[in-house]
Amino acid sequence: METLYCDHHGWLQGWLRRRLGNAADAADLAQDTFVRLITSRTERHFDSIGEARAYLRTTAQNLCINMWRRQEIERAWLDTLAMTPEASYPSAERQAMVLQALHEIGGMLKTLSPKAARAFVLAVVCEMTDAEVAGELGVSDRMVRKYVAQAMLGCLSLRARDTMVGLRGE
Amino acid sequence: MTPSAPGAAAQPLSQAVLEQAANWYAVLRDGKADPHERADWQAWLREDEAHRAAWRYVEGISSNFESLRGQPEARLAADTLNTAARRLARRRLMAGAAVVFTGGLLGAMAWREESLPASVMALGAGHHTATGEQREITLADGTRLWLNTGSAINVHFDEHHRVVELLQGEVFIDTASDATRPFLVTTRHGRMQALGTRFNVRRDATQTRLSVYEGAVSVQAAASGATRIVPAGQQTGFAAGRIDATTAADQAREAWTRGALVADNISLSEVVEELRRYHPGHLGVADEVAQIKVYGSFPIEDTDRVLHMLAAALPIRIEQPMPWWTRIEAGR
Repeated sequence: METLYCDHHGWLQGWLRRRLGNAADAADLAQDTFVRLITSRTERHFDSIGEARAYLRTTAQNLCINMWRRQEIERAWLDTLAMTPEASYPSAERQAMVLQALHEIGGMLKTLSPKAARAFVLAVVCEMTDAEVAGELGVSDRMVRKYVAQAMLGCLSLRARDTMVGLRGE
Repeated sequence: MTPSAPGAAAQPLSQAVLEQAANWYAVLRDGKADPHERADWQAWLREDEAHRAAWRYVEGISSNFESLRGQPEARLAADTLNTAARRLARRRLMAGAAVVFTGGLLGAMAWREESLPASVMALGAGHHTATGEQREITLADGTRLWLNTGSAINVHFDEHHRVVELLQGEVFIDTASDATRPFLVTTRHGRMQALGTRFNVRRDATQTRLSVYEGAVSVQAAASGATRIVPAGQQTGFAAGRIDATTAADQAREAWTRGALVADNISLSEVVEELRRYHPGHLGVADEVAQIKVYGSFPIEDTDRVLHMLAAALPIRIEQPMPWWTRIEAGR
């Protein structure tokens, strides 16, 4: 592990910096990548520098995408609020609660196509009927049911995978 | 995220069952389903503990949305997610997700999927077959694949590599030549590089078996890094830490692509083991007949017919007390 850190930490941080254009985020994510590797209970064995770096790059890439997702959700929330009358703004506490829920849901929907995710959220969060969702998206009721089923299956698969990974202590 | 169905957490559910549960959710969730549909759903729940476990997962997912559901902010939240998802998709595209694809591919695949139950892994697969199903697939480069019963693969093609990831089951591959992009098959046990060829790869829990019929295939074990070239007419088994010496290739591992199960002096229990992969339901064989030798070629797509052919040729009889329960007993 020590050699892995010494050999690749500088390289990974450089790679992340080029990718993110931001030295502070790059340092944080490089650190998080190694923390993840250290806390994983599964023994990693790399046959070559290329393999070790491919692993680190993939882990770091996933962390980048998680970070971007959180940033985009926060930004989109502010933009959405900006379009509503100020009088109907939720309180600061409600906003914190909603953002927390949005981060969790955003993580669950990450594998879905945007259309399936859209249909699913309208159906499940806004409690719209199939016909109402169909009207909003301009598709048939049947298509809405298909999107909802796809989205639920996507969430189930992700949950099943997370559960198994959790059992293995990664 | 908290595990929502603790009782079911450790139980791997098949993709088919999860799909059924998701479909039932889509039918029922807006409360507009008719009484017949509800009755059918109830019957489905009663049918199997796995169905109930899958439904508990569905309820768990649904409850994750409860904090927003029916709240004054629900609509704002929905619009936020939609905007964020579109922007994120654009951002990933611009940042070149392709880097992950090419660079991370070989290293990443090997570790990501290790020791996940096969049924869970199969959920993300590009192509899969149910028990008893076989399918022929032609890939973008003209390579032909035959996917055997209960199998799943992911296909990753980019400008530098052609990679087929075998998640579960068995695949026979007839590669199209492409001098600039090597053709690789990966399993958790290691990776194989085709050197212009026809070959079969079968993955089970403990090892991957490779049989080569034309050309050659180079194998690299996942952990030890040991390599071996397997020429035409030879086969080997390998796991992450070892590659066995090669032996003569088993013709049965090519014959299945023509829908045939070839038995050449193998025991009845071995034939039954092979049949089980195609046969929905239980298939047992009594000890006193398990070692009888079997010769012949059987139509694998019709397991009932194979059983009748065996019964006609061997001193055995087929007992079927229930439609999905079959036993091979000593004969009349």
